[in-house]
Amino acid sequence: MLGIAQIVAVLMVVAVSPLLWGITQTVKARLQGRHGPRLGQMYWVIAKTWTKETTVPEYSSWIFRLAPSIGLAAILLAALTIPVGGRVPAGWPHNLLTLFFLLALERFWVGLAGLDSAGTFGGLGASRVSTLGTGVEPALLAACGILWQVSGHTEIAPVASWFATRPLGALPWTLAAVSMGFVLLAEMGRLPVDNPDTHLELTMMHEATVLEYDGRLLALSQVAMTLKFSVVIVLGWVLLGPNLPSIWANLAIRAVEVVLTSVALGWIESRFSKIRYFQIPAYLSLAAGLGVLAFYLIAGG
Amino acid sequence: MRSPHPEQWRQRNQQKKAAGRRLLTLTASNRHTLTAHWLDPQDGSVHAESLSHAGTFPSLTPVLPEVAWDEREIHDLFGDVPEDHPDLRPLVRTPRWPQAFHPLARSQTSPPNWHDVEPDNPAKLVAGEGITVMKVGPTHAGVIESGHFVFSLIGENVLHLDLHLFQNHRGIEALLEQRPVAAVAPLVTRICAADTVSHQTNWALAIEAMAGYQSAEELRWRRVILLEAERVLSHLNDLAQIPAGVGFQVAQQRALAMKETWQRGLKALFGHRLLFDTVGPGWAQKPSIDGIFILIDNLRQAFKPWRALVQSHHGFMDRMHAVGVVRQASAERLGAEGVAARAAGTSFDARTTMPLYQGLSIVPVVQRGGDVQARFLVRLDELEASLRIIEESATRLRRSPTADPPWVLPHDLTGHVVTYTESPHGLNVHDVEIQAGRTARYHVRPATYRNWPLLAHAVAGNAVADFPLINKSFELCYSCTDR
Repeated sequence: MLGIAQIVAVLMVVAVSPLLWGITQTVKARLQGRHGPRLGQMYWVIAKTWTKETTVPEYSSWIFRLAPSIGLAAILLAALTIPVGGRVPAGWPHNLLTLFFLLALERFWVGLAGLDSAGTFGGLGASRVSTLGTGVEPALLAACGILWQVSGHTEIAPVASWFATRPLGALPWTLAAVSMGFVLLAEMGRLPVDNPDTHLELTMMHEATVLEYDGRLLALSQVAMTLKFSVVIVLGWVLLGPNLPSIWANLAIRAVEVVLTSVALGWIESRFSKIRYFQIPAYLSLAAGLGVLAFYLIAGG
Repeated sequence: MRSPHPEQWRQRNQQKKAAGRRLLTLTASNRHTLTAHWLDPQDGSVHAESLSHAGTFPSLTPVLPEVAWDEREIHDLFGDVPEDHPDLRPLVRTPRWPQAFHPLARSQTSPPNWHDVEPDNPAKLVAGEGITVMKVGPTHAGVIESGHFVFSLIGENVLHLDLHLFQNHRGIEALLEQRPVAAVAPLVTRICAADTVSHQTNWALAIEAMAGYQSAEELRWRRVILLEAERVLSHLNDLAQIPAGVGFQVAQQRALAMKETWQRGLKALFGHRLLFDTVGPGWAQKPSIDGIFILIDNLRQAFKPWRALVQSHHGFMDRMHAVGVVRQASAERLGAEGVAARAAGTSFDARTTMPLYQGLSIVPVVQRGGDVQARFLVRLDELEASLRIIEESATRLRRSPTADPPWVLPHDLTGHVVTYTESPHGLNVHDVEIQAGRTARYHVRPATYRNWPLLAHAVAGNAVADFPLINKSFELCYSCTDR
């Protein structure tokens, strides 16, 4: 029963991720005074890209052709490790470190593919994505360590139930949520760190690494990108959101939470401009600092 | 005309620059002559220096770096050689051109046989360990004109930027040669869409000066309204593009909406969204004066909250600060024009010396920062000033007598005039020579011509990710420059 619920939940995350992406894009469009594309546009984009011809750069190798599949597989596995309903069957891998390393694996292959595309922007994007990773990964690992310290677990489900059963108080919860939000925004490649909507090649981070892709390989990257978007949102809420005894009630709450978060992201992206590339370390340090503060408040209180 | 000794040519032009004059044009002809026209910004008088040579002439670039591109262009188009020029790589010429092909030289009659090779000119690069060369363009991802940029990078930092423009060189100056006066306006209008009124006005003023035509007061106000309406349009566009460079899409889209409203208004008032074919010798479009006031009111209602939004946005204002800095000394050495010059502390606006604007109070908008933020702020203030100028001109237009003196374009004009206007991008100059009703030589020195090398200068030392932002803060015209 638990296993079925987990599989259904993860399949739901996979299925709705282009829709969540669409919600964010629509909110952004409305705040800019535009109608914007329909909510389900991303499904059509992926379907259209899938039917197009696939070409590869002349000087690229097997890495370029394999990377989108590996990236998508890593994100899918990451999705499977998240106990969306709050509980997983016994023996189910749901370690936070596993999840973070799967996200890092995806980043590694995206960067590698960017370099292998033998184009100028691919290399630039790979360099930026990897540099960002050197900031994001320590922050995530530190968060992992903090969670282990306060709750005694690195498995996601017990951490989540530990959080849900402790009355954290508004201040530590907000600090933890803001800190996590900052890091996860960077992980998703959204403003104020990266701008997924830009056409300006020189400013791109993630987009630059997939600039040379088309056809099915691009469709795989697009699925991975939208899936990562929803995986990261769901992860945030699994850790910090309410955790009821009923799995189905949890799933319903998650659904409301992710939709509200997609709306909120659209609002945030409309309110902020992109920070300087060289300020990203400061941005991530701020996130880490807030996380440490939250830790002291939780551990001390 | 007695020609000065080559050393005198340098000295005299250098003295003009040292005396605070501004170079309008450096024009070559197919008779091996060079003429430099200098504007005195105090009284608006124009002074010429000329040189006759035998195919080679002493380069001014070592003492006046601002003419580096002019001389390279002369070298490509006429085959005349500037001696001691520090960088005589092709500027307009591409490897497709046959060796001896010089499109504006007298010997040229029919189109040559183009070489079938890659049109890739040698780029100036930085060599060394850890340096990456990044080539961008000429085709870009957005709706942008064609320019090829060669960056030398070390990590994320730009060491040097080499610009390869003239990708869409149309040969307008050659097309204008030997053209009957009546057939010139359609081409001049289309030199560029962003500064078209300025180009049209330059042509109209040149012909009127040669013919001794005294334009009526009313015509003058109509032209001022058109020139300022063009400035508002151009500045709205630039103000929209700068936030786009840092992903501040709300500000961008709202500004684009204002631009669209303004363009629809222009279409209704003057018959063209980009103001093509609105000014000519002896005439200018007649707008509805009430329509002008309504359009300005509409724009103000949207512009005020927009300005408050962007100026109170700490992230956006901070993002523009200290990026793409141009110091005043560099701006003056490289002959910066328009917004780029005024944002670096140079208090020059050609409208203060233009007879067209006499009677209006024109105060140049000056900022000292020289960065993206300064260029943004200059445009904000200039846009509001332009709206006030339009209102004042419209009020005066309403009071002016309405009859245009009837004027027929003379068919046998002869003369040589240099005219200029302050286009949205800066000082735009036309050097027009007419013989017996046909153009003998038509040289266009567009406003952005000197600002392109300045852009390359401003970008060096910045993060490559900031290039789009810096580029948009200059928002230079390719079409004018390519011609």
